[in-house]
Amino acid sequence: MARAVRSNPRTDLIILVTCLVLALAARALPDAMRDPVSTTMRRTFLAPLVVLQERAELSRRAMLLVDEKTANTDTLTLKALRVTAVEAENDRLRQIMGLGARLRWGFIPAEALHGRGVRDETTVILSAGGRSGVNRLSPIIAPEGLVGVVDGVDPTMSHAMLWTHPDFRVSAMSIDGTAFGIAQSHLASATGGYLIELRGVPFRATLKPGALIVSSGWGGVWPRGIPVGTVMQEIKTAEAWARTYLLRPAVNPADVYSVMILRRERVSKGLDGVWASVAQADSAAQRIVVAGDSAAKASALAEAAARRAALAPLGPTGDSARAAASRVPRPAPRVLTDTGAPAPVPVTQPPVPEPEPRDTTVTRDSISVAPRRPR
Amino acid sequence: MSMGGAFRAVIVFLIFILLHYTLRPLLGWRAPMDFLLLGLLMAAVRVRPGNAALIGFALGLVSDSLAPEALGAGALAMTAVGFSASYLKAVFFADNIVLNAFFFFLGKWMFDVIYFLVAQSVHGAELVQQIFLWSPLSAAVTAAVGVLLLFIMRPLLEPSTA
Repeated sequence: MARAVRSNPRTDLIILVTCLVLALAARALPDAMRDPVSTTMRRTFLAPLVVLQERAELSRRAMLLVDEKTANTDTLTLKALRVTAVEAENDRLRQIMGLGARLRWGFIPAEALHGRGVRDETTVILSAGGRSGVNRLSPIIAPEGLVGVVDGVDPTMSHAMLWTHPDFRVSAMSIDGTAFGIAQSHLASATGGYLIELRGVPFRATLKPGALIVSSGWGGVWPRGIPVGTVMQEIKTAEAWARTYLLRPAVNPADVYSVMILRRERVSKGLDGVWASVAQADSAAQRIVVAGDSAAKASALAEAAARRAALAPLGPTGDSARAAASRVPRPAPRVLTDTGAPAPVPVTQPPVPEPEPRDTTVTRDSISVAPRRPR
Repeated sequence: MSMGGAFRAVIVFLIFILLHYTLRPLLGWRAPMDFLLLGLLMAAVRVRPGNAALIGFALGLVSDSLAPEALGAGALAMTAVGFSASYLKAVFFADNIVLNAFFFFLGKWMFDVIYFLVAQSVHGAELVQQIFLWSPLSAAVTAAVGVLLLFIMRPLLEPSTA
């Protein structure tokens, strides 16, 4: 290092003493005068240095907090992902609670434990068993509708066959009782998801897409009125003497986690009113359609009557027989009286015939009672 | 000192000031290095003691302005350190790394002792701990950084041989 030449020590001493005195004077300043001095320096020629220091401290703080912020962001992301699942579970539990409130008694709540194999959604293990009152062939339901049936009971748990099982059958009908059939899983949809077939529907009964299909109650295993699915379309099968419909299931087997197992005494008492809202909505829709048809028919009858009145002075004609035939009372849809709405034209109607008995080949739930396979 | 040498010394001095307000708060160590003091010592060996005292007083006021409670303490300490470093440079300063490091260490420790005694911001055992633990540590760090910077900036600090 270069060395400076030391000279005139007296001047140096004077400067030193002056600086020391000024420093001591600054130190002795009262607060009221000290703050303005330092503030003035910070706001003038020291401002760039203050800004530099501030940014450096902010950078250091950011570096120190980067791990914490990353962890917080990860936590928030995870929580946000869980919110959707929690909301779905919450809705599901509300539906379960609503179903329990409608059932009131005679059911056993249980959790369904799924196997995790590929397309292994045909059986589940239920968390309730014989000690809770579960019996073999006890129906299993969910808020949406039919789930399956218990096919094996242990003291603390039970084994259930879902509707997707190839051996599962349930007698089903349309909500207005005009079409009956046997519902079973649609095994042909290997890649199209789980669907249901409604087989053995008589040819005279046609179902429109969207029609609700419920259990008929025949056979004694399933009570009447549990939603099975909705009609999607008619499909062609080898059964030339009956129709087969494809149904969209009311319950997705992959979403079955909380279910209700019905006790025998509850099955025998029926489930009237449990799914009334769904059934009533579907029934009301059909009533509206039928009421429209009735109005058209009544209008046609009135027009024919007027035409006959105009032709009466001309004497009987060849159309008399047809006119007389047109006066034969026609069966009016029963639903007109159910709705309470006034009929467009009062027409005396014979009592509506009860639905015909089902074909004996399909009248009972044909749940396979084959011996249980060892698991 | 030639004009070129003086200009280079001013550049180095400004670099030290810049480092004091950027690198030091960025590191945020408990025993921080003092680039202002390093700049003062580097300048002090190149000027007369009176001028070193003036530079120290100015740097002290700059540092005190960011800590108004101790306004004047830093100026007093830096004035004393600057004058002493310039007065004793013939004794201590040489082209020896150990001597240079000791020079930096002693200057920083002396500054801290004067500063904390005058500022009276800490008292009792805390003052003893500050003077005999944290101040030596800070002085050691300052000395190490000062020696490192001397090596890095040697081309700027060496007088031209032309």
